[in-house]
Amino acid sequence: MDRIKLAMVFIIAVALSAVAVPAAHAKTLYIGGTQSLTGPFAEDSAAVLAGFEDYAKYVNDNHILTPWGKQKFPSDIKLQVMWRDDELKPAKALSIYEELKAKGMLVARISGSPIALALKDRMWADHMGATSMASGSYLLKPPQSIFTYYPIYTDSLAAIADWFKANWKEKRKPRVAYLTADNAMGRSIEIPKMKAYLLKDGYEFVGTQYVPLVPTSPPTTQLTWLKQKGVDLALGVMINPGSQPTVREMVRLGMGPFQPYKMTFGVALPGHAAVLAAAMGKLGDGYVCAGSFRPLDDLSTPGIKFCNDLQEKYRPNHRITHIMYEAGILEAMIQTDALRLAMQKTPVDKLTRRDVLENGFYRIKNLDTGDISSTPLTYGKGHIQGVDKIRVDQVQNGKVVKVGLYPLRRIY
Amino acid sequence: MGSGTGTFHETYAQDMAVFRSGLQWGIAVAFLVLLFTSPFFCSDRMLTILTMMGIAVISVHGLNILTGYCGQISIGHAGFMAVGGYTSAILAARLGVPFWVALPCGALAAGTAGLIFGLPSLKIKGFYLIMATIAAQFIIIWTILQLRSITGGPDGLSVPPPRIGNIALTSKANYFYLVMAAACVATILAKNIVRTRAGRAFIAIRDNDLAAEVMGVSLWNYKLQAFFIGCVYAGVAGSLLVHYFSFASTDMFPFMDSVWYLGMLIVGGMGSTTGAVLGAVALRLLDELVTMVGPILSAAVAPQAAASLGLIMHGLVIIIFLIFEPRGLAHRWEMIKTYFRLWPFSHQE
Repeated sequence: MDRIKLAMVFIIAVALSAVAVPAAHAKTLYIGGTQSLTGPFAEDSAAVLAGFEDYAKYVNDNHILTPWGKQKFPSDIKLQVMWRDDELKPAKALSIYEELKAKGMLVARISGSPIALALKDRMWADHMGATSMASGSYLLKPPQSIFTYYPIYTDSLAAIADWFKANWKEKRKPRVAYLTADNAMGRSIEIPKMKAYLLKDGYEFVGTQYVPLVPTSPPTTQLTWLKQKGVDLALGVMINPGSQPTVREMVRLGMGPFQPYKMTFGVALPGHAAVLAAAMGKLGDGYVCAGSFRPLDDLSTPGIKFCNDLQEKYRPNHRITHIMYEAGILEAMIQTDALRLAMQKTPVDKLTRRDVLENGFYRIKNLDTGDISSTPLTYGKGHIQGVDKIRVDQVQNGKVVKVGLYPLRRIY
Repeated sequence: MGSGTGTFHETYAQDMAVFRSGLQWGIAVAFLVLLFTSPFFCSDRMLTILTMMGIAVISVHGLNILTGYCGQISIGHAGFMAVGGYTSAILAARLGVPFWVALPCGALAAGTAGLIFGLPSLKIKGFYLIMATIAAQFIIIWTILQLRSITGGPDGLSVPPPRIGNIALTSKANYFYLVMAAACVATILAKNIVRTRAGRAFIAIRDNDLAAEVMGVSLWNYKLQAFFIGCVYAGVAGSLLVHYFSFASTDMFPFMDSVWYLGMLIVGGMGSTTGAVLGAVALRLLDELVTMVGPILSAAVAPQAAASLGLIMHGLVIIIFLIFEPRGLAHRWEMIKTYFRLWPFSHQE
């Protein structure tokens, strides 16, 4: 019977702890939001979270947004990172969103496409401005209060298509196909306007092949299908756990820009070239990624040096090597700037979500990110893509090389 | 009937009653009063959690009828929820059908899908049936993704909120009442279904299908009935889920949810209506506990320390229950009731 009593006490304690909502400090503002620390985006999310935490410490210590900028953050207000693991489950993200909102969060974040799709309308109804790690074309459809800091996937692929076409030497039309992740993120590129853009760009569209988000076996069938169809350019959205085995199998099958069968494989941001190059070295040569960030060892870039300095100061023994640490810094910077701008119009005690959305996010203009993002960030009503150009990188000799900068096409 | 020395049932009706004493009635009424007044003292977050629990309870009741009572193991329950959810969403969003019509249509569509995918159960059982229901999950999701012009494909589909007259059920409290009313009705129906001729046939099939057939129980009829009823429940849950989010997306019905619904049944206790409720509530509470513990663990160790904590905890709890309490929380609940029924003269271990 003691065990029963113990179990009852445990259940009551859990229920009470769920009910209790601690009051926020008078002068504490929260940044952060839901993370997907469980599931395929776990590695990315952990790096993003570390970026958030380090950035909040930096602002609390220095009361400025960046070492190179002039934006000051009020010294009497403390930034605190608040987050929960949504496991990439919309149902869980919803209850977390409600919890964080009840605790006084004025900004939010989106951890993946399933969460963005499920919460988009609700956030708009709540006037909640959010930064997003997902960047599907659906974000461009009204209503819009979710802001990206790298291009939407369709625009990224359009940039790769433009780059590839500019380097195309043969007289025939290049043949293009989708080789993309079999989930909401990967399939988000399959929209009529994307196909129309490729056709207008002078491509012959062949078809689509899907690869599981995290493949359990090499995608041999999909790749041989592309080979049989004579595909020259394969485009998709994949995370590295998907793109690395795909590239490895491509090499085994003799496919790739530097292989007997010439085919280029280009992906949008989550397939970071820097991560792939670090993991695969020269085996990954020819891999193209658009919209991603600079490698973390590119210390000549002010933003990357900032990331490096933060890590040296706040986590010298637990350095984050994943490139999404930069995304965490960017997201935290955007959320903090939105709060800062909103406080210029409304006192902190009276700040509402609507203030932060309309007087914060919408007023972010040319936010200098130290070149972490491909261009400075500008947002506004109906303008949720912060950047206006897309950086295209290619892995060459095991290193990431920038091969072009292309304008946004706004394909959605 | 009730006396200070025990509860005696003198008629068949008394013996079959759901609530057999005044105390049981009192507890049930008190619970309902507490439940339906909770919007007055619970935060939006708590209401969201309770609403999600309510939807899970409805879904697990369906799985309990199918698996717990009839013994037809299904790992495609989230897929059947998707059928109900999408049918309801398409009717409401594309055709402007009111929620109150779309919901039963979604339930019927899910039931029909259950009948179709239940057909193999006439020939196969055990692991083979599990594989067939897994296939159902993936076929359903694949079909939804392919029908892009109707379902919105991977982009999903925006769904208008339910309305009563001119009142849109957009607030947390309104929708909480709707879901809890549905969960209560679903619980009462589930409790009563198993007391009917069909319910007894389900149990007979679960315990020994050959013996049941020899006794005159039509396997063809009752197995399909179980699939239909179980999937109707799933359809109602799916419909309530998409209308709560005002959005339908295939990511709301992942394969792992089908597994966790079965996990809820294991933790709660298969073949028990109380177990279905307890299992759904327990695993949802565990979910919330993990969500709260994650940041603490992460701050103490490293951001990655909280990774996959939910999956690990769910798996562990199911293993622990399978080893130490295979009859689930429902059995524990019965032990607690027995203890207090005899208190203060209960047997001490």
